[in-house]
Amino acid sequence: MIDIGIAGLGVRHAGGDAALADVTLHLPAGQFCAVLGASGAGKSTLLRAAAALVDASEGRILYDGRAADRALPRRIGLIPQDFGLCGRASVAQNVMAVADIASWRRFTGLYPHPDRDRAARLLAGLGLDETHLGRRADSLSGGQQQRVAVARALVHRPAIILADEPVASLDPATSEATLALLRDEARSLGATVLCSLHQPALARQFADRIVMLDAGRVVFDGTPAALDGHAAPPRVRVVAR
Amino acid sequence: MNAAVPWRWPALLDARAVALLLGALLLLWYTGQRVEIGRMLALSGEAVLAEAGLAERSQVADGLGTTLGQLVPIQLSSRREVSRIAGFDPAHLSPFAHIETVETRVSELDPETLRREDRIVRTAWLVEPFGYLAHVAAKMLETLEIALWGTLIAVLIGLPLALFGARNITPHPALRAGSRATSAFLRAVPELIAALFLVIAYGFGPIAGVLALGLHSAGFLGKFYADDIEDADPRPQQALAAMGVGRLTVWRSTILPQVLPQHIACTLYTFDRNVRMGAVIGLVGAGGIGQELKGRFDMYEYGHVGTILIAIFLIILTLDLVASRARRAWR
Repeated sequence: MIDIGIAGLGVRHAGGDAALADVTLHLPAGQFCAVLGASGAGKSTLLRAAAALVDASEGRILYDGRAADRALPRRIGLIPQDFGLCGRASVAQNVMAVADIASWRRFTGLYPHPDRDRAARLLAGLGLDETHLGRRADSLSGGQQQRVAVARALVHRPAIILADEPVASLDPATSEATLALLRDEARSLGATVLCSLHQPALARQFADRIVMLDAGRVVFDGTPAALDGHAAPPRVRVVAR
Repeated sequence: MNAAVPWRWPALLDARAVALLLGALLLLWYTGQRVEIGRMLALSGEAVLAEAGLAERSQVADGLGTTLGQLVPIQLSSRREVSRIAGFDPAHLSPFAHIETVETRVSELDPETLRREDRIVRTAWLVEPFGYLAHVAAKMLETLEIALWGTLIAVLIGLPLALFGARNITPHPALRAGSRATSAFLRAVPELIAALFLVIAYGFGPIAGVLALGLHSAGFLGKFYADDIEDADPRPQQALAAMGVGRLTVWRSTILPQVLPQHIACTLYTFDRNVRMGAVIGLVGAGGIGQELKGRFDMYEYGHVGTILIAIFLIILTLDLVASRARRAWR
């Protein structure tokens, strides 16, 4: 259970342009927060900043009131936009890379049974089966790879789940199933979720709270119900038309 | 309809590229002078003309002609005097072997009559038609064994060097610098020189050869493994690091599977190279086919030298086929 306090966060690209400006959000522990916005609005940067992968130029992020420390990464479950899987490694190897097990077990592939069971349950819940375990990640379809990345981000029971467009490569039915699993896992772990999405409908269906970004700034922050009455910012309207 | 689109397209050949090209040409012209490329072309051209009968004579053609001509016919058989073979049993000859009896007329002074008398002396020779070939094969096997163990030692030393020497997984930049320097030092000492020192330390034979090859190619593999690791796709590494996964696990889980084909190709090339260098370091007494090669060369037995050179060539060719199959299997 970790709550995340983002205060006046600003992040600059290498070129000096602002990727995020003055973002202030307080995510209570256990909240499922969806982030909407057009491409380039700063969704990925916000998630990367929450994962302590990019340095803030202004403001700060506190986890349970403290700055990021060495113990924080082990409590994060990250689903990168590009999946970040090792294509030449098997699905089992990819998922178990993050599990809380002794190094020698990862070297030998002799994974402990409780961890095998957890990984198997996650993969099965995402519609993958035993035959996928030994397959190389690069032999899977984009949608299957994305689901392996989801399972990998959950296998070590994280307290913070940062999902960067976790259903971008999935069909509508699989998208719903995947987000449902993400939400249910997060609930049972008590994990705080920050999940960027492209589909407002999915955000309404699964999120407790919706944040909308435009050009690096928060333009909407409220419950799914409140989103209905909100006028979409110009760029989002263009995309919708 | 087809209005021109006013885009500026990036040029491939710009002023900088032309300047670089000119610089490279100048460098080649200058260094070419120093290593006598012009004279090399002139002498080689003369040799070609001489072979075609268009020039009187050529230093190169004469020089190569005499030595290379002596390499053939290559030596296949061996011939040993039976009386010099310990425990020789004529009932159990190896296949294809036969005994040749040579009668020689010897004129001796009879001490009693004080007269010169002719006598017939019979010497038996064991002739094995493929005896020398078998000998070369045995020596070649020794070289292969030396190369195999040299390569194994190189992998065992080179891999830790690479793990410390790769920027993305080294525990500390100072260790990276130290490891890179160690690799460079090991590469900088040529096998032949290392073998000379090691022969003094360990005596003649394969130990010096194994160590000389192992140490030199450890520097080789330490560098190439580390370069491969640094060039691996950073995205999975970042994903795992963001979730607090340790360096060793990052290496095992996402880097090693990615770079394994390159590592295997490098290792196979190192083995190939160690077989060839194993033949060279035999020259200083570090065992294997090189020792045989040096001995025959010094005794002007160029037929034997020819056999050895062809044997080395065939082994390298075979290794190449095996290596390309292995690379395909591991792709």
